[in-house]
Amino acid sequence: MHKIRVQRVKEVEYQRIKNQYLLIKKNILWQTFKNQRAFQKQEGIFQNSKKLLAKKTSKGVRYWKEVGLGFKVPKDAIEGNYIDKKCPFTGNVSVRGAILKGIVISTKMTRTIIIRRDYLHYVAKYNRYEKRHRNVPVHISPAFGPVKEGDIVVCGQCRPLSKTVRFNVLKVIPNEIIGNVRKQFVLF
Amino acid sequence: MGISRDSRHKRRLTGGRMPIHKKKRAFEKGRQAAMTKLVSGEKRVRRIRVRGGNFKFRALRLSEGNFSWGSQGIAKKAKIVEVVYHPSNNELVRTKTLTRGVIVQVDATPFRQWYAKKYNVELGSKKKDKKEGQPEATKKSRSLIKKLEQRAKDNAIDALVQEQFTNQRLLVRITSRPGQSGRADGYILEGKELEFYIKKVEQKKK
Repeated sequence: MHKIRVQRVKEVEYQRIKNQYLLIKKNILWQTFKNQRAFQKQEGIFQNSKKLLAKKTSKGVRYWKEVGLGFKVPKDAIEGNYIDKKCPFTGNVSVRGAILKGIVISTKMTRTIIIRRDYLHYVAKYNRYEKRHRNVPVHISPAFGPVKEGDIVVCGQCRPLSKTVRFNVLKVIPNEIIGNVRKQFVLF
Repeated sequence: MGISRDSRHKRRLTGGRMPIHKKKRAFEKGRQAAMTKLVSGEKRVRRIRVRGGNFKFRALRLSEGNFSWGSQGIAKKAKIVEVVYHPSNNELVRTKTLTRGVIVQVDATPFRQWYAKKYNVELGSKKKDKKEGQPEATKKSRSLIKKLEQRAKDNAIDALVQEQFTNQRLLVRITSRPGQSGRADGYILEGKELEFYIKKVEQKKK
């Protein structure tokens, strides 16, 4: 009996460690970009001063900044190795203007997600409301780790980052959704 | 003559077409790319009047540039010898086109001379020359000798950079935009960046 119990405990331990390992691996994949043709570095940070070169295996200087409005800088932004010029913490974008909240519906793009914002539109003739929604493409920094569909996200307005992206993720609130994410109506 | 930089010709985020209800405007116009070529000894730069009465200098042929050595804090004018790598397009390497971000080989003599003057050490000299002894052509005052001794404490440079001095060629990344400013300026690659690009160049040779 004792042996079986021990074995089961070991299995649980094994699963836990395996899940941790898979999460770390996913995280690493999330943070690294495919084989790049140009050297990835933060613009404006000089990595080759005599002091740094002398250190040989130094981590190098990393630039990061606070975005303001009480948003915490994720640990991965300060300690990580990723280079993202569109990241609000380690890149060249400033967050100003509107702050939106939405629910993630798609994470298939590299470093950008699509969120859904629901709202009610008033129809005066019938004194009633109708449900409407908008999909907003939002840039997500590798600092946040893998985000899944259904998570709630707070994003801030910044300058245009691409043809359609004008927002940047500032905070991720993990969330479980039952059913299809695209059919949910969640008012914030 | 046709190159326009508007967004009216593009589709919407939803995929729908945008109705074209305006003609192309002059403030949206674009011009032909410069495609600055590396031609030894030649410098051809055209001045172009742009919007607002300002000028852009379109370099068509360049051979020299001002390159900075970041860790030493100096910049010297040097000749560009060869285009070695371009992260966007291999074609640009073949046609020896200078753009921003291209990796070129630059003549190392101005930097070697500066280093010799400052630290009294000949970079890139082979061991045979050392045995013959350094040519003491100029007399050095006592204060100068003292200064040199002081400086000798931190005259270490990146090993990979030092290797490049033996070939008289330094790898440099162009950071100016030759088609906009008319110059090909850049910085000498050092550290991790240098390792990265050396690897890329080796890969290409294979």
